[in-house]
Amino acid sequence: MIAAYLQALSDALGFDRALAQRVRQEVEDHLCEAVTADPASDRRAAEQRAIANFGDPHALAAQFAMVALAKQSRRVAMAVVAVVAAVFLLMKARLAWYGVMQWPIGDDMRALSETVLAIDRYAFWLAVVVGTGAWVYLGAGFATWQAAHCRRLRRFVLLGGAATAALAVSVIGDGVLTALRLSDIDFSARFALPLLSMAIEIAGAAFLAVQICRTARRVSATAALLDA
Amino acid sequence: MLKGHLDLIVLAALAAGPAHGYAVIEEIRRRSRDAFDLPEGTIYPALHRLEAAGLLAGRWVTADTGRRRRVYTLTRRGERALAERRAVWQQFSDAIGGLLAAAQPSRKPA
Repeated sequence: MIAAYLQALSDALGFDRALAQRVRQEVEDHLCEAVTADPASDRRAAEQRAIANFGDPHALAAQFAMVALAKQSRRVAMAVVAVVAAVFLLMKARLAWYGVMQWPIGDDMRALSETVLAIDRYAFWLAVVVGTGAWVYLGAGFATWQAAHCRRLRRFVLLGGAATAALAVSVIGDGVLTALRLSDIDFSARFALPLLSMAIEIAGAAFLAVQICRTARRVSATAALLDA
Repeated sequence: MLKGHLDLIVLAALAAGPAHGYAVIEEIRRRSRDAFDLPEGTIYPALHRLEAAGLLAGRWVTADTGRRRRVYTLTRRGERALAERRAVWQQFSDAIGGLLAAAQPSRKPA
């Protein structure tokens, strides 16, 4: 009977294996303790009582999922702000490096680069504003596991997704500008800084995209548990 | 009403020392003299939430039975949060006590 209860709880949390495993172990320990402490000699009746006292597995799974989701969302919010800040620093480092190396953009590419630079700038500042907004939005009020909070997390995912999309446009812009600048220069070890910084920017944007998608899936799964 | 004070109740139960979920529930029952008959399962999401907020620290241990068990301890932040919530509760309790005392009907002889 306990095994079936634990299985129902694990299945409800199947979208997050680590959480399902942790909850299963904790609840199993609790139920076994409760059965041992039950003065009734009938084990089956003791198990029934322990399960009844513990509560509905789906309702509990929803509460566990909300707590885990809130924690994950907070981490993602911090990651959005950190990656945006890192991209800004890398852009500045690259520009400083171009100044030291005296690598201007060729005249034939200037018009194109100015257009790309404008798109890059607007996209980056949009990422800053929306990303910071997502972080602040999530930070204000944080402790419930009601459906209203789930809706709040869904809106946070939308904001985080918008910030990540804007950042991706900015990173693509950075990539195009880097390519335009380096296209007329012979390849050498001095390319290491711009190429490495671009690789870090791309990895950062990809990481955020993966995290936002994962959070969005968990929001949907948690909302389904709350609605059940 | 009780749900709104669940964090305070759990933090207070853990003030006595580290404990696993079942022991926390037993401690709540014992110290409240069975006044708080919470659905036992609701304590665990609260423990997870308080741990995520940094008010509790959890670690896995192996019990004598061989089962894995998560033991929770109040962190410094948790101790501070408990002290703050206790002060707020005391203030609220005093205020209500004063209000109810003042509201007692006076019985003057006719």
